[in-house]
Amino acid sequence: MIPSIEFRGVSKFFGNIIALKDISFKVFKGEITALLGDNGAGKSTLIKLLSGVHIPSEGEILLSGEPVNFKSPRQAVSAGIGTVYQDLALQPLMSVTRNFFLGREITKGLFLNMPLMNTITKKEMAKLGIDVADPTQPIGTMSGGQRQTLAIARAIYFGANVLILDEPTSALGQKQQLEVLRTIKKVKELGDIAIIFITHNDMHAKLLGDRFAFLNRGKVLAEGSRDEIDMNNLRPLMAGGAELEKLETEFSGR
Amino acid sequence: MASDERIRDIGLIRRSISRPELGSVFGLIIIVITFMTLTSISGTFGAMWLNPIGIQAWVELAAFVGILAIGASLLMIAGEFDLSMGANIALAGHSFAIFLLFGVPIELAIILTFIELAFLGFIIGVIVVRTGLPSFIVTLAFWFASRGFAVFLSQTFFNQSRLSVKANLKPPPGGGEDPTLIDNIFAFDKAFGVPFDAEVYYFIILVFIVAFITNRTPYGNWIYASGGDPVAARAVGVPVARVKISLFMISTSLACLLGILTVMTSGASDPKAGDFRELHAIAAAVIGGCALTGGYGSVVGAVLGALIFAIASRGINFVPFIDNNLFRVMLGMLILGSALLNQFLRDRIVKG
Repeated sequence: MIPSIEFRGVSKFFGNIIALKDISFKVFKGEITALLGDNGAGKSTLIKLLSGVHIPSEGEILLSGEPVNFKSPRQAVSAGIGTVYQDLALQPLMSVTRNFFLGREITKGLFLNMPLMNTITKKEMAKLGIDVADPTQPIGTMSGGQRQTLAIARAIYFGANVLILDEPTSALGQKQQLEVLRTIKKVKELGDIAIIFITHNDMHAKLLGDRFAFLNRGKVLAEGSRDEIDMNNLRPLMAGGAELEKLETEFSGR
Repeated sequence: MASDERIRDIGLIRRSISRPELGSVFGLIIIVITFMTLTSISGTFGAMWLNPIGIQAWVELAAFVGILAIGASLLMIAGEFDLSMGANIALAGHSFAIFLLFGVPIELAIILTFIELAFLGFIIGVIVVRTGLPSFIVTLAFWFASRGFAVFLSQTFFNQSRLSVKANLKPPPGGGEDPTLIDNIFAFDKAFGVPFDAEVYYFIILVFIVAFITNRTPYGNWIYASGGDPVAARAVGVPVARVKISLFMISTSLACLLGILTVMTSGASDPKAGDFRELHAIAAAVIGGCALTGGYGSVVGAVLGALIFAIASRGINFVPFIDNNLFRVMLGMLILGSALLNQFLRDRIVKG
């Protein structure tokens, strides 16, 4: 199968700083690729390469087997790459429907077609397992997990076939984290979307990931499918493998 | 949607509580009852509420402040602010009068004045958007500059600060103050057989148009989003900068409308025209539920705010046993009270 997205030896330099060095990994549709790494591992730079904010210094990014060269976020979006950032880009005082369609409103002549937009919003949210009783309510009334779902549903509806989720669970309480994980599973079950799930929570990664990629200090430490990766080794890999071992010996030596 | 049984739980009360106008509806009811009671006590009830001249007094003021409040509320919803509105009324009036005195035909003078003021709004908008300076500061600069420039022009060309253009407005066939055909179409007033000044009619039409635009068009959506969270709005493709610039142009154009109408109905342009009106308009917007932080408010609320302002402002003259100065005390308390009430209502929405 051709990967939806493939990184081949991608590097990104900012002056003399090596943000990412020789990154290679694959993402397939209908699968969740968990991208793990500590703060400063280069996750944000990687997202920005994918979403067209930055251009790789070396190597190439392949979209469905074809090399691409995004010059702007707009190009990435129209190529079907949807990014859901941590802040979600939502307007708390505006209604669920207005948020869903903000910037891409459906009109009837000059005016908004609210009934149609309400129906679509309800339908798209229902696909991801959230029943919106009244889409005209402000999203201030929704839980953090539901808002996350709204942002995901919006990206999918507007044509994302690669969905990048930037730490979707990190700012939420336990119960809402589970809600979001459930949503991500629903997206996977839709079958035609490749999901890049960025997290530093190894539990969540283990729960959902079909493939894994571990970033540490700008490099991929390990990459592969569930069978290829030693699942019990997730946590040490996350913290950077050898570094944790070194720390362990340091502590035990005391 | 009607099939969803859970909508009932939210109910009419919760639904209306999440409307930004709610506070001003209460405010209007209270102020009307208060002044009806006070005028009854002092025996002036008929003079304020039944007599045409009494009604004109507060309706025309409400329309004048209301037209500005439309611009003020739109800008506040988008997270911006225009302190120069009052000064721009004088600039528009003077520009219009100067065009007339230079022999420009009245139709062309109107068009030129609108172009001038819209351009001024464009400049203000571009400065705010490009430099990132708070619009409070930028428009404070124009609060000085607009009126100053208007008076400078009239002093330079005509050696006076007040410009009379009565001679340029030809007398009407049947007598009265306002005159040529274009005057009558544009600034139709009592002489033309209608009970109110033109402001009132423009105001009513504008309120309907603007309320419709804000609630039912993509542009209206973008205004709210630009003020609510500009970064998030930009991320989903809302042209935030263009929205804000266009709103500054609307604000200066509304001031232009009032400037020209004032000259037409009074026959002269006064350098003091529109003094402090920007603050009255902002007060109306605040009373009407607009948040200074942007993203929240409504034009209809601002209109109700303008009515509250006008009834309190003119009503105090009909109640002789209350000192006129107390009006400003009352207005201050009214602004504070509404701001508190509106903040409470807004929190209810976010908390759900």
